[in-house]
Amino acid sequence: MTRSFGHEHPGAMGFLTDATLCIGCKACEVACKQWNELPADGDAALSARSYDNTGDLGATTWRHVAFIERVATDEAPFAWLMLSDVCKHCVHAGCMEACPTGAIVRTEFDSIFIQPDICNGCGYCVPACPFGVPQLDQDDGRVHKCTLCYDRLRGGLQPACATACPTDSILFGPVTELRSIGRSRVESLKERGVQKASLYGDTSLGGTNGIGGLNAMFVLNDEPELFNLPAAPSLPQRTTGPAFLATLLSGACFALLGAAAFRATKRGED
Amino acid sequence: MPGLGARLGRGGATTFLQNLAESDCVVVMGSNMAENHPVGFRFVVEARERGGTVVHVDPRFTRTSALADLHLPIRAGSDLVLLGALISAVIERGLFNREYVLHYTNAAALVGDAFQDTDDLHGLFSGYREGERAYDTSSWALAGNRGSGHSQAIDAESYEQRAGETNVEEDPSLTHLRCVFQVLRRHFARYTPESVQRVCGIDPDQFERLLSAITANSTPERTTTFCYSVAWTQHTTGTQMIGACAILQLLLGNIGRPGGGIMALRGHATIQGSTDIPTLFNLLPGYLPMPAADRPHASLANYLADVTTETGWWHHAPAYMVSLLKAYYGERATPNNGFGYGWLPQIEGDYSFQQMTLMMDRGVIQGLFCMGQNPAVGGLNAKLARRGLSRLRWLVVRDAFEIESANFWKDGPEVAEGSLRPEEIPTEVFLLPAALTAEKDGSYTNTQRLIQWHDRAVPPPGEATSEAWFVHRLARLLRERYADDDSPRAAQLQALEWTYPTLPDGEPNLERVLLEINGVHLASGQPVTGFGELRDDGSTACGCWIYSGIMPATDRNRARERAASGRASLGWGYAWPADRRILYNRASARPDGTPWSERKAWIWWDIERGRWIGHDIPDFPSAKPPEYRPGAGATGVTAHRGDAPFLMLADGRAQLFVASALRDGPLPTHYEPWESPVANELYPDQLRNPVARELSDPGNPYQPLQDPRFPHVLTTYRLTEHHTAGGMSRFVPWLAELQPEGFAELDSVLADRVGIDNGGWIAISTPRGEIVTRALVTDRLQPLSIGGRTIHQVGLPWHFGFGGIATGAIANDLTSLVEDPNSLIHEGKAMTCSVRRASFSATRVAMDGTRDWNEGR
Amino acid sequence: MPKKPLDDRIRDSPRPHAPPIHRSHWGWLVVAYFFLGGIAGGAQVIAALAALVGGKKSAGVARLARYVSFAAFLPCPPLLILDLGRPERFLHMLRVVKLRSPMSVGSWTLVAFGGVAALATLDQAAADHILPRGMLTRRRGWWSPLTAVTGLPLGLGLAGYTGVLLAATAVPLWTKRGLLLGPLFLASALSTAAAAIDATAIATGQRHRGWAPLRRFERLTLLAETLLMAAWLGRLGRAGLPLASGPLALWVHHGVAGLGLAVPAVLGALAPHLPPKLRITASAVALSSTLFGGFVLRWVLVVGGNRSADDAGATFEMTARPSTERKQGN
Repeated sequence: MTRSFGHEHPGAMGFLTDATLCIGCKACEVACKQWNELPADGDAALSARSYDNTGDLGATTWRHVAFIERVATDEAPFAWLMLSDVCKHCVHAGCMEACPTGAIVRTEFDSIFIQPDICNGCGYCVPACPFGVPQLDQDDGRVHKCTLCYDRLRGGLQPACATACPTDSILFGPVTELRSIGRSRVESLKERGVQKASLYGDTSLGGTNGIGGLNAMFVLNDEPELFNLPAAPSLPQRTTGPAFLATLLSGACFALLGAAAFRATKRGED
Repeated sequence: MPGLGARLGRGGATTFLQNLAESDCVVVMGSNMAENHPVGFRFVVEARERGGTVVHVDPRFTRTSALADLHLPIRAGSDLVLLGALISAVIERGLFNREYVLHYTNAAALVGDAFQDTDDLHGLFSGYREGERAYDTSSWALAGNRGSGHSQAIDAESYEQRAGETNVEEDPSLTHLRCVFQVLRRHFARYTPESVQRVCGIDPDQFERLLSAITANSTPERTTTFCYSVAWTQHTTGTQMIGACAILQLLLGNIGRPGGGIMALRGHATIQGSTDIPTLFNLLPGYLPMPAADRPHASLANYLADVTTETGWWHHAPAYMVSLLKAYYGERATPNNGFGYGWLPQIEGDYSFQQMTLMMDRGVIQGLFCMGQNPAVGGLNAKLARRGLSRLRWLVVRDAFEIESANFWKDGPEVAEGSLRPEEIPTEVFLLPAALTAEKDGSYTNTQRLIQWHDRAVPPPGEATSEAWFVHRLARLLRERYADDDSPRAAQLQALEWTYPTLPDGEPNLERVLLEINGVHLASGQPVTGFGELRDDGSTACGCWIYSGIMPATDRNRARERAASGRASLGWGYAWPADRRILYNRASARPDGTPWSERKAWIWWDIERGRWIGHDIPDFPSAKPPEYRPGAGATGVTAHRGDAPFLMLADGRAQLFVASALRDGPLPTHYEPWESPVANELYPDQLRNPVARELSDPGNPYQPLQDPRFPHVLTTYRLTEHHTAGGMSRFVPWLAELQPEGFAELDSVLADRVGIDNGGWIAISTPRGEIVTRALVTDRLQPLSIGGRTIHQVGLPWHFGFGGIATGAIANDLTSLVEDPNSLIHEGKAMTCSVRRASFSATRVAMDGTRDWNEGR
Repeated sequence: MPKKPLDDRIRDSPRPHAPPIHRSHWGWLVVAYFFLGGIAGGAQVIAALAALVGGKKSAGVARLARYVSFAAFLPCPPLLILDLGRPERFLHMLRVVKLRSPMSVGSWTLVAFGGVAALATLDQAAADHILPRGMLTRRRGWWSPLTAVTGLPLGLGLAGYTGVLLAATAVPLWTKRGLLLGPLFLASALSTAAAAIDATAIATGQRHRGWAPLRRFERLTLLAETLLMAAWLGRLGRAGLPLASGPLALWVHHGVAGLGLAVPAVLGALAPHLPPKLRITASAVALSSTLFGGFVLRWVLVVGGNRSADDAGATFEMTARPSTERKQGN
């Protein structure tokens, strides 16, 4: 089931989530929780942050609808932006590369999956995700995130969220297909005057700096940061090699320094 | 719904949701469609993706506005002024479809001499009787009418109406001063863009953008749809607001055409079904009026004489009524006993939901079955509703959860504050577990009159059962109880034909009930294939004539079918009447029977075959040629010309001017909401709807006119995340977490004035009471400039209550009991309030005496 | 709708609840591990250097260093296991080898290190005749030089990998100047290890003239740590905000820089000029100060990292598109 990271998987499946079609109904959140039997985890009190009361992706929230009340400016009128956030199922996934147990694997659908029987809750994948997706469940002691409804895919169904979405804001399908849909969507949005339209999830936006693109992409109509998405994140493990090298080099220096210190003793004392 | 019924003939939506995708312009007004009809809204999104324009007119910037090309903030309750100004502009600038208007509406008919308009009478129509607060509608009759006996306003809700009159004088040039078109023109002349600015708070630029979006997309090549929902219905002028929309759409030639028409969005699941086969007090199934003691309804013959029209579809009323009586009483219904007509109860007053609240409070109603309803939260003036519940002798609540109506006597705010003591409440409450949708068979009739069957997916938990099981069992028990009784009320029960077979688990076989609704030939026992086969001689039985054809064979339930094909999605479910998806679709062709345009072809006359063909089932006699002209003495629809698409009505034409069917006037007129912060700019002498129904009671005080203590507009609404009074959502963790707590939305200027931050606690009050809730301060609401004054609008979701997981103050504690005179619907969408800062500790007690969210956190 | 200037847009928009990335769950257990693991690794390095280059004079240092290393190592596995969400699955750490995962590399390093440290300690204990009779009676075996030869790289690995582990995340504070974290951790590990050995020597009364090289080495590592710290802190930008202001800044200034680096340096410089009696006290103060500073360094790094993960501005500054540069370049 595991697959070494490489180029785009021919059978890769993913999402295209379109902010310009989202009506913020949260059916995806509920469908996800229902299918995956996840508990309600929102605060039982009003967040007073627009209509978002579940806050964030987490161990028990695998789809999260963000609500952004964009204030009016000289450039653009007031807008209420909505976007259903989800695991990006990166082509090169920080969480998977960080995972010391091999619990996080790449499936035959090219999705990133945390094997619940392997994960030991070390939590290292949590800060290693450039998008803030996986989270340690304090009650359960393991890390969880979107599985791309692996069980449903095996059974020939679409993920629950995509099935529930009433406006086709969430599309599920082969990544290559979704990518071309996304690109033409952005083109047509730009023709309609949405100058900031962008496809988040290719190697120039969102899937940047070693991430190699995202299997879960987003059509945005404003700056990614407004949707709480980093514009040009990096694959954290790009640092691993150089950092080890720097550490080894400095280690060698320290060893030489130490050797000098102790050798000096030898000479001086003898 | 009488808003559409009186003018078009049927109260139902004229189009269907899928067809919205073919609209070139969708105007959502009086509705927050994306939030409350998210699944249907996909077709609005699709229309926009196909290049259509989407406009949202609403006090708040909602999730609907977020997807619209244009959002116009409007003062709640002023919609009729905007619609009137659109009507006026369309007429004055010659933007209407003359051919459509001339042939398909009663624009050319002459209004009688006796009629006087609101212009002449300072906001009143002729015939107003001051003491009765009612109109004598005889002066509204059209000229030349021979008098059809409909001089009095008929009961509201029987709006598939016998409106429309025949043999009237006409002026095809539309220039006669008394012709409907000119009357209409004069009536709306004062509805100008400037008045829109002063009354609605919409500036003329925005008005022009709206007007051009609509008119540019109302041509032979293009069509505009209006979507409305309960934010039009729930006004004291709700019927007339909807009527104004119908007039506008008729002038623009949009009704009956693909991508056009009026999408009446119903308040919740199968609410259309519950008026078709009504839970309303004044209707029988299929929109036959309920026999009434104050009408000439003493015998079946009298009743039929009253409800049957000489021309138009209601000529067939006897066949439908007799078949209904045969369905009710079976063998016991014979020609000799008027088919059992005498067993039907007769109403002698208003038993609307609002009146029931008062009757419970006054001890008139002593027992209540509460099924699928939560009056302790959802009732208007809910404080009064709870007091009413607390004065009952018995109360049966059937629900899936222990909703507020079942536990108000121990957990309600009145108990918490000490004004009600559980031990002093005489009500015996029976809480019975109810099965939910997936746990039972049945059908939904959705907002587009489409009946869809569903099968039980899982058995209900524990002792939960369906409503059908409960009613079936209750009926049998009552018949047993009254077996030896010879009183008239026992006779009613004993006379009923009640022989439904049950399934092994005791649930009644609902497809057998559906067969009864469809109708059968009694001799053969075979189902009828449509209402055309129903007879008035007792040879057929039919539970609801408009549903006829849903079960054309005993083994074919068309509501179960799921093979949609073509633009009309025929083959998916069954739409009443006769599976027609766009009503009045004869109007999708020109008077000569050819399509208005290739692009908008829907139904047209096929000369070779001599019949109407197209994408839909024709809502017209299929072989009646366009050039058909009725002979003298013709009855029913044969009395209609071949270019008269509105076949329910007496003259087959849409009623721009409604001569008799409405209680508050033949033409829509703007009156301020019952409680308004401003004067009536258009008719300074007439602030409120003169015939709106007041429900005077010490427990239901109204705001004195323009009381400065209540300077803000208050409007109530719903959220996607919750369902009505919350019985099906606030108790479900996955839904509760999405909107976990009650709140009110207000603009930042008002928030500053009140001195609270986003998330802070505020107290909102009306003359009925005060609630304390959280404030959601947002730019989505903006203060409006109304006649030189700054008016703030406060939005208040009404889902919340003290039970369940998601709790909050009860919004309906602030609303009042006051009714639209036609629909008897309350005014929940526009009232006035005051807002002040509240302290947090006070809130805890007021909001929720039983739990503290901070517990265990 | 009222118009507002563009700059106010992000500020005024009600942001989604959470920052764009998730913070780690790490707390005291991991801080303690970073500290002790550093000492264990550093001490093994010192032991190896002393044994390989220091000759007989440094045998005492090597001896104590082995004990200190093993003693510091012993709590490490339990600390890490307790930090797991599913402690009973700690062996899953050894299911796979992943060179790109510093935690995988670290897990294996820790295991190997544990073996070598144990062997080195046994070896030393045998030499010191403190083992029970019949156990490892041979004074020195072929493994003695082997423990030194393997202990050196494994010690360096254990002391330094934790810096790489932090660097290979999305957390701004850890990854912004991530290449310096490994060396910084290493320097601090060596200085705290030297201090720990020295302190143990003082406490057990074994300190004498032969310990000068250790102190020299200690000063060198402190100097390196100071330089690395300055280099690291200098160009963190928004990512360094949690350390540049607020309560953590006090800990950085007074704890890490003041007590950890400045106090030992000053006392070290003063020591030769002090009366002998005071010298020991000064040394003791300097050594505790170093140890304390080393601990605070780990603590502010973990806590500061978590805070910088919560700072959306830090993440967005770090992940901004180089669009303006590109435009200018074109």
